[in-house]
Amino acid sequence: MSLLEIKDIWRTYDLGAEPVHALQGLDLTIEQGEYLAIMGTSGSGKSTLMNIIGCLDKPTSGQYFLSGQNISTMTDDQLAEIRNRTIGFVFQQFNLLPRMTALENVMLPLVYAGVTGEQRRMRAEHALKEIGLAERMDHRPNQLSGGQQQRVAIARAIVNRPQIILADEPTGALDSQTAKDIMGVFNRLVEEGITVILVTHDQETANHARRIIRVRDGKIIGNQVREARTGGRP
Amino acid sequence: MNILQLFSIAWQGILSNRLRSGLTVLGIIIGIASVITLLGIGEGAKAEAEKQVTALGVNLIYIRPGSVGTGGISQGQGTAPTLTYEDAQAIKENCPAVQAVAAQYNSTYQVQFEENNTSTSVTATEPSYPGIRNFFPKRGRFFNDSEMNEAARVAVIGDAITENLFHGDNPIGRRILIRGELFEVIGEMEHKGVAQGNDMDDQVFIPITTGYTTLFGLNQVTGRSVRSILVQSHKDQDMQANFQITNLLRLRHNIQTEEDDFTLRTQADIMQTAQSITGVFSLLLGATAGISLLVGGIGIMNIMLVSVTERTREIGIRKAIGAKYGDILSQFVIEALLMALTGGVLGILLGVVGSHSISTFAKWTTVVTPISVILSFCVSLAIGLFFGIYPARKAAKLDPILALRSE
Repeated sequence: MSLLEIKDIWRTYDLGAEPVHALQGLDLTIEQGEYLAIMGTSGSGKSTLMNIIGCLDKPTSGQYFLSGQNISTMTDDQLAEIRNRTIGFVFQQFNLLPRMTALENVMLPLVYAGVTGEQRRMRAEHALKEIGLAERMDHRPNQLSGGQQQRVAIARAIVNRPQIILADEPTGALDSQTAKDIMGVFNRLVEEGITVILVTHDQETANHARRIIRVRDGKIIGNQVREARTGGRP
Repeated sequence: MNILQLFSIAWQGILSNRLRSGLTVLGIIIGIASVITLLGIGEGAKAEAEKQVTALGVNLIYIRPGSVGTGGISQGQGTAPTLTYEDAQAIKENCPAVQAVAAQYNSTYQVQFEENNTSTSVTATEPSYPGIRNFFPKRGRFFNDSEMNEAARVAVIGDAITENLFHGDNPIGRRILIRGELFEVIGEMEHKGVAQGNDMDDQVFIPITTGYTTLFGLNQVTGRSVRSILVQSHKDQDMQANFQITNLLRLRHNIQTEEDDFTLRTQADIMQTAQSITGVFSLLLGATAGISLLVGGIGIMNIMLVSVTERTREIGIRKAIGAKYGDILSQFVIEALLMALTGGVLGILLGVVGSHSISTFAKWTTVVTPISVILSFCVSLAIGLFFGIYPARKAAKLDPILALRSE
């Protein structure tokens, strides 16, 4: 069984007179442990695809199975639970809560998962150490550099041990050196067996992945499998 | 997610904009404090009215003659001379539910001691009067049965009369003139203040028999007519006494189908009247305070709506990492509740302090009842819930994708 199976998915928006078909019968299968990049220009439907993969949105028609569960028929609360336990999000703008410390931000998914007390703190600290931010746990986002903020966001994404990391332009707001560091973090996560899906329009970023999907007009127009990169880590 | 966690998240939300939360809470504080204070004033007025009614004795029934009509114009209750001293005697003898009776005739006369004089109410009554009224002499004594029987020229004066005629000197044994007739002062009443609209201290008491012989004489038709009869029933027997008196007087006055020529009012009636007046007063005060509370509640809703709009992105992030509908809903509802409750508790404190200062500085009786405190607390809770739910639902229903995109 594949980790993720998308079959003939359509996503249609009713915006005024004419319906807009953002996804038009798209099929995609992703295996456990893959390192995948989804590429496409703006308006190609890649964001819509990402929202559906991330269980933030539901397809208008078609089927989506994640670990064998049929996502298409789930309620909003069930989707929230899937997002909490199975998927970790990394955003271009980091999306940390500004009034919380790094540690508190990382603990947040555990709060919603019902993990309490010492257990929660320990797991959050562990995630931050793993990502190399052990010294800055008590800093607020505005006291951290962009790269550090993105590391906090990655720690938050992995703290609940998800199967998939979904990263939306994760290096878009970073300089090239920091971007390289962050991509190194993703490489390491893949080595640990986590499925990483990058959503980007940047070829350089996409080149880190082992398989690149190209999306245009709501359909997949290219599926390129690359050689595993060696020595990509800093 | 446990409740403690929810409170801590909501508390962070409140603290994130202290000034705004503070002003919102202030609205509730003012609302609750005014409810507490104004209800306190209302309750105080009620207690004061009750005190005034019961200050004049308990288990009382007031009997007054009907009114005289001259060419269709009523002269007002108590003007007809239909009630007599003999009626009072008959009630005393024939009504088992009655404990004590005092007939009264009062009129205003000039009272004089040496070169001082004053115009005051002269109340002619019976020796049973102090016991019924719970109003006793502090110096000397009240007149007794033998003085009553021989129509002795003795008088008991109120303490305001002592002040006016004797400038506070001991009046016992002095002789005063009432409308030119000589009386000996044998007692001085204790201070009572104003009760039921009458200054109880500005009065002179004389035996009613003396009144008929020296001051007001006899009525041509009915003889010894009285202005009112004061009856004290046995405890919890005022209904029976009422019934017995009514029947007795109808019999004596030969009333069959025509209207009674007398009226009975029990203390309970008077109490009810007083309470209905103060009740309206309390209601008006409460309504005024309620409006300010409502405005405070709208303030909470307003701020919560602004807060939800401002924190759209935060809501999106929380949803993306797994917050469910109920998580977001309770976060914002608890935030509203916390603000309302903070305002409620502080408002109650302020209201209690306010009531006490009004009692202290304005000399108004205020009564803060536990009920009004509990009520205010519950109302502030309800306001938080009511005005918090709509913004919270709005937040919980946000589409995470749109919320994440917002700036």
